[in-house]
Amino acid sequence: MAAAESPSAALRRRDLCSRGIRLAGKMRADVVDLLDAYVEQQGLDASASVAAVEGVPLAAVERWDEQTGTQRLLENLAAYRAFRALLAQMLEEQREQLGEADAGLGRALAAVLLQVSAFAYHLEELLRLESRGIPGEEGDEEEEDGPPPPPRLSLFEQKLRGQAVLRELAQWAVRSVRDLRQLAKPSPATGAAPGLAESP
Amino acid sequence: PQNLKCVTHNLHKMLCTWDVSSRGRHGQTDFCYTTNDLTPQVCFKTKERRVEIPIPESSITVTIKSSGAAFATREFVIHQKDISFIPITPHILSLMPDFPTSTLNLKWSDNGSVFPYGLDALWQIQILRKEAMEVVTQVTYYSKLTHEDAILSWSWTSDMPLECTSHYVKIRCYINATQFAGPKDWSDWSPEKVIPGKDTEPGGSGVFPLDRVVPVGSDLVFCCVHGEDEHIKNMTYGSKSYTIMQLSRRSHAIRVLNASVSNASGTNVVCTLENALEGSVVFVGYAPDIPQNLSCETPNFLVIKCTWKPGKPSGLYGGRRTKYSLFERTSGKNVSCEVNERESPRDHVCGFPVLPDQKIYDFILDVSNPIGQAQSSLLVDITQRVHPKAPEKLTVTGNNSTSIQLRWFINGSFAETRLLCQIEISSSHSERKLHNVSIPGRKSSTYTAQLNALRPDTKYQLRVRCSAADHFWRWSDWSRGLEQTTSEAP
Repeated sequence: MAAAESPSAALRRRDLCSRGIRLAGKMRADVVDLLDAYVEQQGLDASASVAAVEGVPLAAVERWDEQTGTQRLLENLAAYRAFRALLAQMLEEQREQLGEADAGLGRALAAVLLQVSAFAYHLEELLRLESRGIPGEEGDEEEEDGPPPPPRLSLFEQKLRGQAVLRELAQWAVRSVRDLRQLAKPSPATGAAPGLAESP
Repeated sequence: PQNLKCVTHNLHKMLCTWDVSSRGRHGQTDFCYTTNDLTPQVCFKTKERRVEIPIPESSITVTIKSSGAAFATREFVIHQKDISFIPITPHILSLMPDFPTSTLNLKWSDNGSVFPYGLDALWQIQILRKEAMEVVTQVTYYSKLTHEDAILSWSWTSDMPLECTSHYVKIRCYINATQFAGPKDWSDWSPEKVIPGKDTEPGGSGVFPLDRVVPVGSDLVFCCVHGEDEHIKNMTYGSKSYTIMQLSRRSHAIRVLNASVSNASGTNVVCTLENALEGSVVFVGYAPDIPQNLSCETPNFLVIKCTWKPGKPSGLYGGRRTKYSLFERTSGKNVSCEVNERESPRDHVCGFPVLPDQKIYDFILDVSNPIGQAQSSLLVDITQRVHPKAPEKLTVTGNNSTSIQLRWFINGSFAETRLLCQIEISSSHSERKLHNVSIPGRKSSTYTAQLNALRPDTKYQLRVRCSAADHFWRWSDWSRGLEQTTSEAP
């Protein structure tokens, strides 16, 4: 049984969790708006089922309630790091394809990218709070020869991937709110928030 | 021996064949011929029922003696008019596809060395397509033989992407040998050359053409190549479904007529299969218009500012947008122009450096996008196109009851130019007056002027603008205004 946290650490974590919940909620609203604008601007079918796209982290998880707090945070962090890279690529493709044609969408995309980066940093804060080592970024190990270049997609595949990225990001924001609420819950015995390892 | 027939493929030699009764089929044959200009008879033995002999000027007498079981002799007189002329079957040297433009490039040899100089040749080229090898088009191509082997080439642009299904090409020829008396006919068709479609490739799939740029008004064919066991549900262009044509078991297509301009992110062409979604994007836009009202001037003899009216927007953005470059013929210098189609859709601007010791500029404005290009040109003497910036830092440097001294600054290198500046002065007592002063220009300098005969104790509003004194072109904008009151009379 891990030792219970000090009251100040629990307070700090609950504060981080509640701020994270607000951040995720705002991010979700912005992502949903962005997705609508993106689908319209790219001439896509909002109702079309988009197959899972390689490299886009799936929000759906089995036995969600059995996850420990650390697992929740680590999975969230990995996902938002992936979304950060995917959104950055989308932004670059957007500039390349449209230039100044739709600056509004570009700005909205950049704004969501900023929020995703902020949220990833927030998750790292939570992990630091528990003196958990922050996992290195996926590219760190391949620093010398750099991350493998993403496969060259056709324009239509780029559009579909963009739709999949935004859809899945909206789902992740919902999951993150649930995860953070789970982490913020006080432990039934001591009334203090449990250490990350314990919280189911 | 019977039914003697002779065919020539090259107007030099002819191939004669004949029939024999079944009993004499395996025996030896004595074949003799003589032309009627008293040359000695030529004979030889053969087991074949075909021989190649020279073409006679007018006629030839042939004697065929078959030995063995069915001993028989028969004599034939063959006139040139009895000999058929069927050119040698042509062979395709190369068939090269250019997928981005859906063009087939064909090369073949005309075997001209075999024929006399100057004969007219006709070539029929047949393009076939689909699994059923339907004839798509047949074209006749004309050439003149030059008694040398010439390589002929011809191109054909398909109405559908070459990836959609296999395209086959074959050719045949007809030589108009007017001097030859015998009947003339087309050669056999050459063996087909094929450019295989993606629907023949294992795992080949997708919508084609992929990410192409086409002019507004184009008639387009899009195809969806899929697995053999996959069933196509529908194909849409933009938001509209189209009737599907089958090209092969693995390839279906739609035809879109008179395509209209697409939006910035292109028009999606989506192929919905039972378990998959394939798609492509097409960008439908306009070739650039010829730039209108190209005009160039210099504000400061450091840079030349060219402006023009671009005409209607191309509808193409990002990497496909219309690009502009300014080329100056005398110096050979080329400048690419950064133009923001959205911020200034009606007037475009481009800067070109003033070059040392060069007054006359021979500009060509090149405009291009993936659909087309255009040009405008302008010959200009920049000393006659001076349009200074508005004077800055207008200040009063001195005044008394009847005069005011002014000073202002103009950015630019006007050392070799005389400036004409105009000072506007007005007050509540008097109408607006304009005072012109001509000043030798200098390099990024201040200039002064004095206004006299003013009324004492009077508030005046002043501002200044300048232009080139020699070869007036345009006034600068007015400087910011200034208020100054003359002192009271002594």
